Amino acid sequence: MSSRKESATERWGPFAAWRAQHRIAAVSSWQRLLARPGSTCLIWLVVAISLALPGALLLTLDSVHRVTTDFDRGFQLSVMLETDATVSDVETIQSAITAWPEIDQVTFLHRDAALSQFAQQTGLSSVLLSLDRNPLPHTLLVAPVMPMSQQALEGLVGKLADLSKVGSVVANTRWMARLEKVLQVGWRWAWALGVAMMGGAVLVLVNTLYLDVAARKEEIRVVSLIGGSPAFVRRPFLYSGLYFGTGGGVLAAFGLWAFTAWVAEPVEALFLLYDHAKPLSGPGAAYPVALVSLGAIVGWMAALFATQRYITRLSAN
Amino acid sequence: MIEFDRVSRRFGDLDAIRNLNLTLARGEMAFLTGHSGAGKSTLLRLLLLLDRPTGGEIRVNGERTASIPARSVPSYRRRFGVVFQEHRLLFDRSVHDNVALPLVMAGFSPRDSARRVRAALDKVGLLGSEGANPAMLSGGEQQRVGIARAVVARPEFLIADEPTGNLDPQLSAEIMGLFEAFNQVGVTVLVATHDLPLISRMRHRIITLKAGLLATTVVN
Repeated sequence: MSSRKESATERWGPFAAWRAQHRIAAVSSWQRLLARPGSTCLIWLVVAISLALPGALLLTLDSVHRVTTDFDRGFQLSVMLETDATVSDVETIQSAITAWPEIDQVTFLHRDAALSQFAQQTGLSSVLLSLDRNPLPHTLLVAPVMPMSQQALEGLVGKLADLSKVGSVVANTRWMARLEKVLQVGWRWAWALGVAMMGGAVLVLVNTLYLDVAARKEEIRVVSLIGGSPAFVRRPFLYSGLYFGTGGGVLAAFGLWAFTAWVAEPVEALFLLYDHAKPLSGPGAAYPVALVSLGAIVGWMAALFATQRYITRLSAN
Repeated sequence: MIEFDRVSRRFGDLDAIRNLNLTLARGEMAFLTGHSGAGKSTLLRLLLLLDRPTGGEIRVNGERTASIPARSVPSYRRRFGVVFQEHRLLFDRSVHDNVALPLVMAGFSPRDSARRVRAALDKVGLLGSEGANPAMLSGGEQQRVGIARAVVARPEFLIADEPTGNLDPQLSAEIMGLFEAFNQVGVTVLVATHDLPLISRMRHRIITLKAGLLATTVVN
């Protein structure tokens, strides 16, 4: 035709054309989603639950972990000296162990101070006053450098106990070790659950998108017959997948936020009982961003997977 | 120019096309005819690279189609406007969007694309139906939408496979008239049809296939 040259100038550059094709695919896929609000919402819910449930579990574990590191910071060993140890004995030991690298701080608690503290806390002052001598030993409150492994802590306890004039060392570290293990199990459990649920969401998405591809077979055939590239054919489906995943991610972020708000009050009350002021952190920015991006990636991948087989068969034809 | 040089296509023991030599000059209009099973559709499928020959070679403007890599097949197909017997319109979008499809692929700007769509619909006499759903149109009108889609991007070649198969004689004559009009502005046109009474009245070459062989080629 005489207008070949003219048509070349009327055409957009490759980038503008590519962008326009993307815009058309994005808009048409969005309209297609809105045309079926029921099934779209169901898919969003499936993705949201699969993301939010492990997300909530991880967030909880994260908070508990942070709280226990705070406990670590306040952790102390009580080194009880033998009853015949004098104040100068205590001070010798104190200055010796303060120099140890694994020890952060050593506080001397005089036996009299300990007795009055005990009397105050228990309300047994009259009984204690009737005793003819103070039954409590001098005590050194030892704060080790934290964090410290359970093994190192036990080594330190042994080392302290071996010093002369030391009666006993009290360190209730076992419950912490247990908690640590429970948390580890919890992490793995959350990850396993997360992977399984994401797998389920991917299968639901692939199935939905595959049905969509099958329902639009004729369109795909016509488009490729009149010169649509595989990328052009695939594009609207990729956008559908992206919308399904991202929508689910946004819903999951809202869900997680609602969950945190709902449990915040009782959990905070519980932790206040343990003199711990700010226990449960909210989802912050990292969790919503992670949920939405994960949803988007999963949706996009599912669409890629669902269309791959059909498109390959088509281009092989 | 389209050249078939000793082209064969074998399906198992059956030769759909055997040693076919055929040349279609630039700007020519020709009809391809023959009984069903004579190889008309196979020939068109080979030309559109929906299928590959088992022997011989096809050249388009001197380029061997066998040397076109898979990734270039879409842009090769965009050089052809294709009209199908069963229209193959998409009923989930308007007439306008159906016709605009090749322009979207070719990367025309929306404003320019809209102008071209209207021009193409005007040529086939359907300017008023731009916003309609193709399902609301009659068979003849749907076929004209299909033709508008085939010509909107101003292809070098216009290929039609039984475009009048489901239409009455008067509508068929109108459709053929449209093909002729496009041929007159320089498009190379190849129409596969078995509507002999109609095409024998037109002054174009008639290529007849018989059991995969070129039987006759007649110029009226």
